[in-house]
Amino acid sequence: MSSDVRFTDFKSDKQPTWCPGCGDFGTMNGMMKALAETGNDPDNTFVVAGIGCSGKIGTYMHSYALHGVHGRALPVGQGVKMSRPDIEVMVAGGDGDGYSIGAGHFVHAVRRNVDMSYVVMDNRIYGLTKGQASPTSRSDFETSTTPEGPKQPPVNPLALALASGASFIAQSFASDALRHQEIVQEAIEHDGFGFVNVFSPCVTFNDVDTYDYFRDNLVDLQEDEDHDPTDYEAAKEVILDSDKEYQGVMYQDDESVPYHEQHGVTENMSEIPDGAPEDAMDLVREFY
Amino acid sequence: MAEDLNWAVGGEAGDGIDSTGKIFAQALSRAGRHVFTSKDFASRIRGGYTAYKIRTSVDDIQSVVDRLDILVALTQRTIDENLDELHEGSAVIYDGERSWEAEIPDEITAVDVPLKSLAEDAGGAIMRNVVALGAACEIANFDVEYLDESLEKRFGGKGSKIVENNKEAARLGQEYVQENYDLDHLGYSLETTDNDYVLLNGNEAIGMGAIAAGCRFYAGYPITPATSIMEYLTGRIEEYGGHVVQAEDELSAINMALGGARAGARSMTATSGAGIDLMTETFGLVATSETPLVITDVQRSGPSTGMPTKQEQGDLNMALYGGHGEVPRFVVAPTTITECFWKTIEAFNLAEKYQTPVFLISDLAMSVTEQTFPPEAFDMDDVEIDRGKLVDDDTVDQWLDSQGRFRAHAATEDGVSPRAIPGTTDGAHMSTGLEHDELGRRTEETDVRVQQVDKRNRKVETAKEEEGWEYREFGNPDSENLILSWGSNEGALVEALEYLEEDDVDLRVISVPYIFPRPDLTDEIEAAEEVIVVECNATGQFADLIEHDALTRVKRINKYTGIRFKADELAEQITEKLSAEVPA
Repeated sequence: MSSDVRFTDFKSDKQPTWCPGCGDFGTMNGMMKALAETGNDPDNTFVVAGIGCSGKIGTYMHSYALHGVHGRALPVGQGVKMSRPDIEVMVAGGDGDGYSIGAGHFVHAVRRNVDMSYVVMDNRIYGLTKGQASPTSRSDFETSTTPEGPKQPPVNPLALALASGASFIAQSFASDALRHQEIVQEAIEHDGFGFVNVFSPCVTFNDVDTYDYFRDNLVDLQEDEDHDPTDYEAAKEVILDSDKEYQGVMYQDDESVPYHEQHGVTENMSEIPDGAPEDAMDLVREFY
Repeated sequence: MAEDLNWAVGGEAGDGIDSTGKIFAQALSRAGRHVFTSKDFASRIRGGYTAYKIRTSVDDIQSVVDRLDILVALTQRTIDENLDELHEGSAVIYDGERSWEAEIPDEITAVDVPLKSLAEDAGGAIMRNVVALGAACEIANFDVEYLDESLEKRFGGKGSKIVENNKEAARLGQEYVQENYDLDHLGYSLETTDNDYVLLNGNEAIGMGAIAAGCRFYAGYPITPATSIMEYLTGRIEEYGGHVVQAEDELSAINMALGGARAGARSMTATSGAGIDLMTETFGLVATSETPLVITDVQRSGPSTGMPTKQEQGDLNMALYGGHGEVPRFVVAPTTITECFWKTIEAFNLAEKYQTPVFLISDLAMSVTEQTFPPEAFDMDDVEIDRGKLVDDDTVDQWLDSQGRFRAHAATEDGVSPRAIPGTTDGAHMSTGLEHDELGRRTEETDVRVQQVDKRNRKVETAKEEEGWEYREFGNPDSENLILSWGSNEGALVEALEYLEEDDVDLRVISVPYIFPRPDLTDEIEAAEEVIVVECNATGQFADLIEHDALTRVKRINKYTGIRFKADELAEQITEKLSAEVPA
């Protein structure tokens, strides 16, 4: 790891195929900057992505990376981190990837509290399949598969995380570049599972949750001096407030114990002896 | 085979049947006798019929038979379930003080022992099974002191008082039979030897093989009968710097294991039945991203939830063809418990050498059967580890393109690419389930598509040339009767040979531990007059492969009752098949 890593080192030479104006550009830039700012370099970083527009991120970034199957990026990321505590792991996903097909994995990744970060590009729509309702779409949001709206309340990912025992819950806005980067940085630096839901507008299929909408409605918790992220009740209030959209760190449990400490998982498991371990015959003797 | 003793304990799940059987099996093993166990259990936690059977001999034994000499019956159902296997010389130990009236046929010796009250005399009713073990020792003329060591092993952790009470319980059982019965006419006498054997089952052998092979990361989800692999690794793999994680489901388990493997750790997941279906989603990703991963499937009776606690070899087609699209894979199927150990090690080597998923397919019969072996059968000095084309900081340079990018999927001549794990300087690269170029980047270019598909398939061709895809052979190599088998049927077949020899029928038995790639058996099949394929499934999945390879019809012996083949039963069926017509 070198101290002169620039965020552009995390950039690949592949040009993104995201639509012009897509929120994912800003989201990704913030992720790369946050990784560089926290002292990581591409050779010690592993980025996992799922499927969808968000899933393309591994292609546009440069690091060790895996682009997996739909909804299963979190398990891959946890497997990397559990076997390689020395590697920085970041998982990127979308709202469909993370809160629909991968919702079960989300709940369990949160409660395991593996020391990694999870950045979800939430555009409240399925973009790559051309505009169907996502789990975070509003109940009256009209789409090709829900002409009268989904008629069911959207998932509140922050509440889901809180209920699952999250130790770090944050939200950011792709267009507010500096704040987004700061928040992702905090997630990386958090000693445990750092979850960031990012408002990452889809300019092609979502004409409701637009840049303008977020600009007009976003409340930054940093400007609310009363908000103490270590206060669970205060976090709950903000997270369950359906009248406003917030950005910032909602909740952080400074005393949470990350997975590797709970389970004593500290070894780099990639290094093994040339043959069986020295005392391996003990394993056989156990069966006497 | 006169030295044999066939013993069983049966009752309801929750009666401690399993531990009772294990204690006796260990005592026999400590006495230098060979042991082969089988279990009959139901998919419930308490209640229902469950039994633990032991066959023991001073000679090597590899199968169960339809015969019971001593039965410890804790319920009437235990007697009813085993009536067919009891014979004139059998003894049934039961507790006449209990509420049920044991109905035991006249020709069978009923040995009524007040198990519960003797156990209470020794310190607690819970030890009634140990009283029965003492009684069984007396009937079998087997020194009760051999039980002491296994009681110490079993209860040592609970303090010396418990151990002493159990020893006392065994002696009370022994004395009761001594004083109240004269059973010398049954003629049982268990010879002992100085041999030190180890006693273990197939799942334990797989777990032990995994650790020996350097597996450090295991992710799984509990499912019968694969769970005991995870249970074995838990608490042991940590001693070697590894970790076991119980995932939230099989989808997560295989993806976690995939993550571990991509991070450079030798990784494994194991499952059974429905679990392997769930994992199939990720299977193609493992193959396309060229990730070395061992996926163990301990087959049980299917489809759907089928009979979760019963034997079957029905997943072969799934292992061969499962998953959408076409992906190279290896399918390795151990044929014995020692092979479970060695083939697990080989599976890890194959996975890393060829950067390919390896299906290690075992079956329920092997996974729950405990068998004795000389410890040298698992000689750790013979374990070899081959990590394949793993590059490091010094060797990564030769695999960088002109712009310094790592060619993780370089289309080499042998189809195997260099592998850089996280932390390797300049090795950073992406992998994906999308079709990709040499750098791992998505592509739909026709030339690159063909190049990468061919490259991945070439690994199989390379492996076919470089690895020894051998088979195991028994019986008379010149016999015109050829029997082909895979998986756990081998033991029963080897013993069936002995039965058939008595009837002057000779056989050549070939047991195949590799399903894909597999040995070419064309010459062997052509040399034989009769070819019979033996397997525990209804449709003959392995027989289909053989017919496809050799372009000839074969006879089939299929068993799908949920119970493994028995040696005597197989001998009978083979005789019948040999005289039958070849199917059209």
